[in-house]
Amino acid sequence: MAILKRTGFAVLVMLLGAGAGAAVLSLPPEWNGLSDTVAARLDESGVTNPVTAVLLNFRGYDTLLEICVLMLAAFAVGSFVSERRSAGLGTGRGAAETSGQGHRGVELPIARPGRVLTGLVRLLAPWIILVSGYLLWVGSHAPGGAFQAGALLASLGVLIVLCDHRLLPRTASWLRRVLLALGFWVFAGFGLVPLMFGQALLQFSGPAAGWVILGIETACTVSIAMVLLLLFVCNARLPSLDADADRARGTGA
Amino acid sequence: MSASGAWMVSLVLAPLLAASIALVVGRRSGPYAALAAAAAIVCSLAGLIGQLERHGAAASAVGGWGSPLGIQLHADGLSVLMLLMSALVGVGVTAYAWGYFGLARRRDEPFNAAASRARESFWPLWLFAWGGLHALFLSGDIFNLYVALELLTLSAVGLIGLANQRTASFAALRYLLASLVGSLFYLLGVALLYGEYAVLDCQRLLELVQGTRATTCALALMTLGLMLKTALFPLHFWLPLAHGNSPAPVSALLSSLVVTACFYAILRLWCTVFANAGTPGAGMLLALLGAAAIVYGSLQAICQQRLKMLIAYSTVAQVGYLFLGFAFLGRSASAVLAWQGVVYYALSHACAKGAMFLAAGSIMRSAGHDQLEGLAGIGKQLPVSVFAFGLAGMSLMGLPPSGGFVGKWLLLRAALEAGLWWVAVTILAGGLLAAGYTFPLLERALANRAEPWVARRVPRGMELASLVLALCAVALGLVAAQPLELLEIGAPFQPLASQEANP
Repeated sequence: MAILKRTGFAVLVMLLGAGAGAAVLSLPPEWNGLSDTVAARLDESGVTNPVTAVLLNFRGYDTLLEICVLMLAAFAVGSFVSERRSAGLGTGRGAAETSGQGHRGVELPIARPGRVLTGLVRLLAPWIILVSGYLLWVGSHAPGGAFQAGALLASLGVLIVLCDHRLLPRTASWLRRVLLALGFWVFAGFGLVPLMFGQALLQFSGPAAGWVILGIETACTVSIAMVLLLLFVCNARLPSLDADADRARGTGA
Repeated sequence: MSASGAWMVSLVLAPLLAASIALVVGRRSGPYAALAAAAAIVCSLAGLIGQLERHGAAASAVGGWGSPLGIQLHADGLSVLMLLMSALVGVGVTAYAWGYFGLARRRDEPFNAAASRARESFWPLWLFAWGGLHALFLSGDIFNLYVALELLTLSAVGLIGLANQRTASFAALRYLLASLVGSLFYLLGVALLYGEYAVLDCQRLLELVQGTRATTCALALMTLGLMLKTALFPLHFWLPLAHGNSPAPVSALLSSLVVTACFYAILRLWCTVFANAGTPGAGMLLALLGAAAIVYGSLQAICQQRLKMLIAYSTVAQVGYLFLGFAFLGRSASAVLAWQGVVYYALSHACAKGAMFLAAGSIMRSAGHDQLEGLAGIGKQLPVSVFAFGLAGMSLMGLPPSGGFVGKWLLLRAALEAGLWWVAVTILAGGLLAAGYTFPLLERALANRAEPWVARRVPRGMELASLVLALCAVALGLVAAQPLELLEIGAPFQPLASQEANP
């Protein structure tokens, strides 16, 4: 029976794949999409990189909602994870009283941080911040931007958390949350300003457009980095944190 | 930006901003943020309806670029009726959740980490979902529709996972996987359409689309993906577990709003993008699946032992009615009538199903369980909730005077005009079957019970919220003229009615 079911699914998937393949082959081979239209109006967007122009200006509304989706994703994952490991978004209240219900995360095969790791992170940290800032800046005229810069910054966050597992619990919970929402707030805030002057939502034009976009991207970089870092922390069961929680509960590690 | 555009922006951004504030402030701010969002939504919706009644359907270019570079928000009668649905159910559920989760832990209540997690997490997740719903209903762009669907899906996954049970995590994960497959199918369809026409705007696509191979493939993929999200039989496998095990306000939201919103996405696509590509044969297939869903879901509901599972299977059945409208593709005269009936049915079903799940939540809170066997005599404990359940059941059965009756009546008339007798028979049989799964609870509730009750107190607000929603479902049968007039704005079903015979 199980084999029949699997074969059925396999046939179904292959049919779908064949259909999609045939459809792709039927598309016109010479194809420009909207790139000519984008190029024609690039001057008005305030940036010279067409990708940034589409993401932050032409289709900024999509990106605004996407930033919202990212913030939501970090929050939703945090709400799945038990408060016991309060490194995520939890307020940490009563973390010690919890009996460990809910998803407990995956134990990472991490050794205790040694001198090599800490030393390497010390060495890398300034460079990562510098490159992240460069990627953010360069996004206006070449490949780069908030997503890339945020991902890089998050990698630094992951490295630091691996060195010191209690870094995030030590940062105030409200600060973690504000950093998470900052991108959306700045984006929506800049977007609502033109609305007050009778223009459309997110209408960025004129000489200030480039600066507005840079401001939005800076805030989004921070929030994207926070989202990625929180996703990592929520899912990884960091050894020393658990030991701390156990000690707090009086059961011993 | 025009006034209607500003109202649309406010409908989308108010709940999202409230969600982000509730997320950051945490603690007890959630209910107040939701209250503020609800007030803003009601005002904006009133403003938007006023504008549309004066000027007709409205489009608003976000960013000022317009199609094809930018994104258009689009509001017509169909989206306004859906917004009305989300406002009615949303306000009802917000009021109910206020009592259900409570503002804070009571002094005599022992600390429970899961309960406090649910109490804090519910509000931001629900507000994100509300914003996602509005973004979906107002979207006029197929890629933006995808982003709105993601917002809606992710918050729904979080909401399902709030229940403190292993089954809840399992149900949430299964819903996430099913939903992601649906999203990817949809996205593939978007890519094909963009590859063929280099446009993402729905209205522009309506003019451009022809029945090429890529278009047909996109139609199949997008409809299939959204069918999975709507839980149309036989793709309903994820629904009963997810809707039947969530906290009551979440079940109500999922069954009445989220499922309907995914159906709306299908309807919107078929009315605009695929108006000239959808064939009557494909429509007939969807309608047949809908009829099968009605029969299968109702029979399953009748067999259930648990009240919430019963209501969840009833959703599987009721989703079927929404797809009956596809039987009328290519029958210009009766198609508009049928779609009016379907949308009206969706509206009243949302109110009725919301009321049912909320009433079931009160019953569960009071009795401590939802096994039908053990609920004898609950009517004396919770007369208001049982009354609400009965009224909602009346609308699902399609008895006059209720919104369900009006919807079914319009569909029946269209079916008889078009000579689709099997649609008419399914509608009537579905009503009888709905009686079959509504009466068992009512019968037990009104029975006498020998042993005394050990019932927990249920906040009055919870009971009233379910009653008000049930009364809305009934009232929709009494004031049908105005909503149906609203639905006419911008003639959303015109492209389907004027559709020529299939090439």
